Amino acid sequence: MASEITAKEKPGENPILWVARPMATAARQFGKSLFRPSTIIYPYERLEDPKFREKVAVAPGKPIGVGQVWDNYRGVHALNISTCISCNLCAFSCPDLCIEMVTVPGGDPKHPKKCPQIDYGKCSYCGFCSDACPEGCLTMTTRYENSTSKRSEMVFSPQRMLEIYQHKLPMNPIRLARPANEDSILLEPPLCIGCNACARDCPTQCITMLDIPKPEAKPGEKVPKRIWKEPVVNDSDCVRCGTCISVCPKECLFWGTRK
Amino acid sequence: MSTVTLFSVSYDLSTVIARGVASVFPQPIHGWILSSDVVLGFAILFFAIILLAASMINTIMLIWWERKLLGRFMDRRGAMHVGYAGLLQNFADGFKLFRKFTVRPREADSAGFYFGPTAYMATSLIIFGVLPISTGWNGGTLPLTLLLALVIFSFAPLFIFVSAWSSNNKYSLMGGMRSAAQMIAYEVPILLAVVAVVIVAGSFDLTTIVYEQQNYWFWGPLVVALIVFVAGMLAEMERIPFDLPEAEAELVEGWNTEYGGMLFAFFMLADYLRGLVGSFLVVLLFLGGWTLPTWVPSSLTSFPLAGIVIFMVKTYLVFGLFVWVRASLPRVRTDQLLRVGWNRMIPLSLLAIFLAAVLVTVKCLPLFGCVPSPGV
Repeated sequence: MASEITAKEKPGENPILWVARPMATAARQFGKSLFRPSTIIYPYERLEDPKFREKVAVAPGKPIGVGQVWDNYRGVHALNISTCISCNLCAFSCPDLCIEMVTVPGGDPKHPKKCPQIDYGKCSYCGFCSDACPEGCLTMTTRYENSTSKRSEMVFSPQRMLEIYQHKLPMNPIRLARPANEDSILLEPPLCIGCNACARDCPTQCITMLDIPKPEAKPGEKVPKRIWKEPVVNDSDCVRCGTCISVCPKECLFWGTRK
Repeated sequence: MSTVTLFSVSYDLSTVIARGVASVFPQPIHGWILSSDVVLGFAILFFAIILLAASMINTIMLIWWERKLLGRFMDRRGAMHVGYAGLLQNFADGFKLFRKFTVRPREADSAGFYFGPTAYMATSLIIFGVLPISTGWNGGTLPLTLLLALVIFSFAPLFIFVSAWSSNNKYSLMGGMRSAAQMIAYEVPILLAVVAVVIVAGSFDLTTIVYEQQNYWFWGPLVVALIVFVAGMLAEMERIPFDLPEAEAELVEGWNTEYGGMLFAFFMLADYLRGLVGSFLVVLLFLGGWTLPTWVPSSLTSFPLAGIVIFMVKTYLVFGLFVWVRASLPRVRTDQLLRVGWNRMIPLSLLAIFLAAVLVTVKCLPLFGCVPSPGV
């Protein structure tokens, strides 16, 4: 019994080594960290400080610039309101439903401009929104300090994210290419009523309503009562946001391949 | 007194206060207060108070020292924020524990529950009264100081067992029994290692033992006894790698699971008090106490309270050794612990006694010099 439970690393090894070896390792570590431990005193020292740059950049091929942690760190968002086209794709792609499109000043009074407002209490910093943004106006910065004393302060309005954008913080450059959507917006003509909703809400103004000829009334049939216009989508300007599909009252727009 | 010692300081303090108090009273009381017995009595009282405060502060600083050293061993910094480099962190922690409400389990035995930690703390503090730390130390003049210190030191398993049992928690009781078994197992090699020192020094008086080390410190010739003593002290202090009765996180503090607030702080403080006592004993028995080797120029060691400073520096270095062991070695199992205690430590300590007897017989060693007195 006694011999069974005796711990032996290697048979025939001197048991003094079992004590001496770890103690030598610990002493080596002590000597290494005696003057400069690996930890930094965070609120007073920061990884962005130039004196830590070389120390932290351990992985080759991942340079670290002043003022940033890692290039691909996903921190607080920055929003360039002026280039935002209110396409809603960020809110669509958000898995946590933390993005709400709110009205910002500066839009058409009839169709107000809407920009994302992010609740960081829910945000998981996955970066899908900035991946989905067709204009590249919603990006993630490397700012990692986002603690607040109130829950309401965690909701970042577009203006606040614009301020972050104006600080010129380094943006996360690794923005995944948006999954190429080769499909186009197609129309099922008989259903369309020419209501103009798609053209009105299109964020890129790529839908124009063209006149179509009003058919002659056949005997015994009534000409349907509608506006005799049909949307035409300019594929090169379309960002494939799908807003027109969602606003169409008759569900006559759909994704498809243009022949 | 020509040299400034801690006792002379407290004697002067007592004299000044006695003169001030005596000036208020008329003649018979005036003379009585100024009589040498009263002044001496108050001097001893002040000395004891200074000793108590100093031992408590040193204990808390020892925790700081351990945290900082352990931090460096683990490539971090340890406490940093309260005070300079975290010096006051443990005072803040102690104050927090002091303010906390002490919860006693309903089924716990009230008397034992409160008596255990208090007595553990008190016995740990008493040891400081008998350990001489410098020259002219009042407590160090008993002929059997070393034995007295070790006897008080070995009270601990009893109080641990009492407090663990009266917690009325079966896991605490098991931890207490393990702790008692461990401490009793390692009492024996410690005492045998001490016997080796006593054979060479020829006295149980710690002051004499220190003065016997004037030619060479005992750690060189008695290195086997030193190893046994340090290993035994690690087990007595329940420090890693022998901390299995307590096992901070894994056993939820082992036998002091049920204790919180100030009672837990008593255990914590007493553990480090015992750590301090263990370091004191290592310094006294093996590292020459408050003396320095003779080749050190005396001009460097003639400042006031030099003995205390030298002693404390040595103590903190010895405790650093304990921290080094803690940072390096994993925890052992109970069976390994007891087997090492009974099968390895006791033969080693007997070997140490044999080597000490040889040393006394030979009287002179090529590297170290001669035994100053032939011993018993």
